[in-house]
Amino acid sequence: MSPVLAQASGGIRWSWIGDNLDDIWEATVEHLWLTGIAMVVGFAIAMVLSVLAIRYRRLYGPITATTGVIFTIPSFALFFVLAPFTGLTVLTAEIGLVLYTLLVLVRNTVAGLDGVPEDVKEAARGMGYTRNRLFLEIELPLALPVIIAGLRIATVTTVGLVTITALITFGGLGRFILDGLQQNLFVPKLVVGAVGPTVLALVLDGALLLVQRALTPWSRRAAA
Amino acid sequence: MTDPMIRLDGATKTFPGTSTPAVDALSLEVPTGEIVVFVGPSGCGKTTTLKMINRIIEPTGGTITVDGVDVRDREPHLLRRDIGYVIQQIGLFPHRTIAQNVATVPRLLGWDEDRTRARVDELLVTMGLDEELGARYPAELSGGQRQRVGVARALAADPPVLLMDEPFGAVDPIVRGRLQVELLDLQARLRKTIVFVTHDIDEAIHLGDRIAILNVGGHLEQYAPPEDILREPATPFVEEFLGPERGLKRLALRTVADLGELGLGNCVQADASVEEAAQVAAEHQERWIGILDGDRLRGWAWVSDLDGARRAGDVETSLFRVALSAEDTLRAALDGLVRSRTGVAVVLGPDQRYDGMITLARLNQAMVS
Repeated sequence: MSPVLAQASGGIRWSWIGDNLDDIWEATVEHLWLTGIAMVVGFAIAMVLSVLAIRYRRLYGPITATTGVIFTIPSFALFFVLAPFTGLTVLTAEIGLVLYTLLVLVRNTVAGLDGVPEDVKEAARGMGYTRNRLFLEIELPLALPVIIAGLRIATVTTVGLVTITALITFGGLGRFILDGLQQNLFVPKLVVGAVGPTVLALVLDGALLLVQRALTPWSRRAAA
Repeated sequence: MTDPMIRLDGATKTFPGTSTPAVDALSLEVPTGEIVVFVGPSGCGKTTTLKMINRIIEPTGGTITVDGVDVRDREPHLLRRDIGYVIQQIGLFPHRTIAQNVATVPRLLGWDEDRTRARVDELLVTMGLDEELGARYPAELSGGQRQRVGVARALAADPPVLLMDEPFGAVDPIVRGRLQVELLDLQARLRKTIVFVTHDIDEAIHLGDRIAILNVGGHLEQYAPPEDILREPATPFVEEFLGPERGLKRLALRTVADLGELGLGNCVQADASVEEAAQVAAEHQERWIGILDGDRLRGWAWVSDLDGARRAGDVETSLFRVALSAEDTLRAALDGLVRSRTGVAVVLGPDQRYDGMITLARLNQAMVS
């Protein structure tokens, strides 16, 4: 791009984006990894907590209360509370990210499992389902739409939070925001750091919706 | 007599936190191949009793045996795979197709796929369900269809025993009536041992080979075939529970065929003399006379209209508007005769052959003898 044209577009060097696609791609992949790890670990923990909450009803209150309180802690604060123990590391970031997923995932998983109609469960037991098989083959599939709805919310939230964890890890798309701020508000970097995660969140949300539709063909036919 | 399929011996259930048992020492036997209906008001323990048989509810006392084996000697989930189970809300699995739903127990039993598929196809036909419904999901079916799928699913592994907990309670009366008839047709072919719970005494009378009338606390008030219960209610509770019109309900249990030979009735051949016709009518204390052409019933005429004619068949006749056949109920016969100008219900056999007529006196005699 000629200096004249650069001037014409307000002096913003948009060409930086085109020149640094490799960097941006790398940061995007990193962003995805950080999000993915948090979601997988968070989901696993949430499943255990949900099953506990369902089997032992009195645990449900304490579990949601605790995860709820964690959810209200400002992310900034949480990361710097953890930092003295685990350093400015990816681990610190992930612990925070995982904790933030729990409230939504547990609430939705429990709601989903609670929503499985009593008559369906009784019919299954009456035909000779064992408890474990009932859970895996009947309750879990039927709770899936609500569970995945929770996953979608948690994923979008996590993609946003990963941007902030750049403060600790210097990874992911958030680091462009940090760079941009330090370089006298270098606009193209700020834009990539802000728009990138937004696009990523939309794409992941859409992907999970497609996964849900593929896994639960019955729920859409039923609504039709 | 063959051994009963199900035997309850002092079966008792006391729910935690309650002092009075929901079912208190109930003993009865369900004969092999019969439909036994548990009926009674809310809180009589009929559903609790049913659910103790497949241990959905664990008995707290007494013994229950199915096919000679104490149900507590078997793993609950294995016991249940051998007992068909149908509940009011049906509980079809919404995430599985109709074919997969029907295949539930065969899958749990580990049948191979060919055998399972063949069985599913067979059952859809048995239950009068279109084969193409097999690929649909439960939400895409009507209430009546879902109920049939529920029964098909319960029958899938060909269990000797079927437990049905108010299975037709949630469908409209017309569909319910149809499903009841279908169940009786099915039972005529399959001869399962069926325990059926309902709060509807009419359903119980219609379906049951025997009826167990239960009072609060699982107290057995009477256990007998419906005809016996209607004729001789054992207790005031039973009498009240049966409600009014016991006679009509009994009439509904019997058919025209049960009356046996009806005789000619108030009829003469068309070529009989007017005097003969008048005499027959007088014997029957009627003011009309039926006119026959051989074994066909032409119609009827007022005796007063015969004045001046030579033969009974010379006058204009009116048609009998209501005609019954052998398989109609006596209740239908009563309905027919009260609607008829002549006060009788005509019975026609194959090819419209005249088989006789039913009078109120004849019905009355059948009920009290």
